[in-house]
Amino acid sequence: MSLTSLGASEIRSLVAAKEVKAEEVVRAFLEQIERRELEVAAFLSVEGEKALEQAKALDRKKDKGCLAGVPIAVKDNILIKGMRATCGSRILENYVAPYSASAVEKLAAEDAIFIGKTNLDEFAMGSSTENSAFFVTRNPWDLSRVPGGSSGGSAAAVAAGEAAAALGSDTGGSVRQPAAFCGVVGLKPTYGRVSRYGLVAYASSLDQIGPLTKTVEDCALLTQVISGPDGRDSTLADRPVPDFSKEMKEKLGPFKAAHLKEKLIEKIDPEVKNIYWKTLNSLQDLGGELIEMDFPSWEYALPCYYIIAPSEASSNLARYDGVRYGYRHPEYSNLREMYLKTRTSGFGEEVKRRILLGTFALSSGYYDAYYLKAGRTRQLVSREFDRAFAEVDYIVTPTAPEPAFPVGAKKDPIAMYLSDMFTVSANLAGCPAISVPCGWSREGLPVGLQVIGNHFQEGRLFQLAFLLEKKVKFGNNRNIINWKEER
Amino acid sequence: MKSGLDIDHVCALAHLHLTEQEKKVLAPQMAKIVEWVGRLDEIELPVPSEAPGFHLPFSLPFRADEVRQSQPLESVLANAPEKNAPFIKVPKVIEEK
Repeated sequence: MSLTSLGASEIRSLVAAKEVKAEEVVRAFLEQIERRELEVAAFLSVEGEKALEQAKALDRKKDKGCLAGVPIAVKDNILIKGMRATCGSRILENYVAPYSASAVEKLAAEDAIFIGKTNLDEFAMGSSTENSAFFVTRNPWDLSRVPGGSSGGSAAAVAAGEAAAALGSDTGGSVRQPAAFCGVVGLKPTYGRVSRYGLVAYASSLDQIGPLTKTVEDCALLTQVISGPDGRDSTLADRPVPDFSKEMKEKLGPFKAAHLKEKLIEKIDPEVKNIYWKTLNSLQDLGGELIEMDFPSWEYALPCYYIIAPSEASSNLARYDGVRYGYRHPEYSNLREMYLKTRTSGFGEEVKRRILLGTFALSSGYYDAYYLKAGRTRQLVSREFDRAFAEVDYIVTPTAPEPAFPVGAKKDPIAMYLSDMFTVSANLAGCPAISVPCGWSREGLPVGLQVIGNHFQEGRLFQLAFLLEKKVKFGNNRNIINWKEER
Repeated sequence: MKSGLDIDHVCALAHLHLTEQEKKVLAPQMAKIVEWVGRLDEIELPVPSEAPGFHLPFSLPFRADEVRQSQPLESVLANAPEKNAPFIKVPKVIEEK
């Protein structure tokens, strides 16, 4: 088996046992990037030399961390000191991070190796990675299709064996949906579990950094490392981080899982629906009692999200005005014109659309009707989750309403927004949610199951996802391109 | 819910400019999106028992109010679009009449 088909846990074991050098691992992944990047286009920048230097230093080190030699790709809206952080936007095209995100520092302290920065929808606004200002990333399963988004570069890099694991960010499904499209595991942790320090803000009350990995075991390992207090994010919970890898392997015992009523999934892709029902049967085989549950506000979660997220974005993105950092338009006669020309030429279409939508929802005369109403609806969604978790351990849904769609297929913004129909609720309620591969469409595209848990119950999510992963045996086909070639 | 979306007014608030061609595409799209999010009118919301907004499921810890090292000046200036160290250059804010 080639090094690039291995996950984080396997690589760190080999490096720790000195069976393989970190330098060999990094060289293998760089060669894979060389082979695949022309087709997949997952990376905005590859930091080969820095990664090799890091690996050589690590090989000389005596006591190695729990991610020793693991090549990790990082979404380009997460800062790594000294590397560019473009957020997929022209406005930050030449921005070099002056410090590292907390999650990155925590990974570095465990000797992970940063191999490059991955493509994304501009400022994480999108569900296909087509909104990147630079290029479109392709799905390794089928290069004519999107990898999902907005963490599409990270998901594609892991699926293509170009990185052993990756970091993404999830505001409305941006880790889970690309994980489902690319056949990898993706987690949005509980809001407040992982520091947002060094994550470029999109919608601050919804954003969380999360891992994309080849296996559930790797997902537990990375979540373990990046979680916990750092003193630099005031919305971070001050609570201990359990040993997720240990919890994952504990006996699950009987459990209760809520599934959605038929009316909430009647319009989704029939194959996805069939795979969802089949996976529910698998959950029963694993000792689960399934309960059909009504979530009256579920169908309003998406419009609610598309008021709250753009509103927060319109405020967060006001900082890109050409004054302190980022792009400044070269021609202007006064300050206002500089703001206007900089923002107009620096932002792409979807970012402008969301800024305008958010500005409108917050504007005088409309605030109560839109933003305030959305805030109240969000509370309703949270209360429904609280009621559900008083009765069940999990809520299970399809991760996305369809498998990966062709590049260019969704021209209508609302059609694109509907990609998040199952994922936004967990962000609104602040709950953790994992996407785990659970089957394939007839065309050979992966389909994911989303498992949502109660606040700070990531360990319970890993327990169930770990069992499910073994049952559907998806883990055997981790390196998609190699697997397809070998088949 | 009547949208009342005035694209020029919203553009001015957001410091964005749209060409007439862009407006032709974006204005109807925006109107459609505003109508779609306006679906929230269908929900009967209970009488609010708590302040609006997002309530964290945990209490936020306070940190000590102490002076900390901020970013070094050189690293801040490194990303400035125009500079005259140790300052960032900006256009004149006060205009002559």
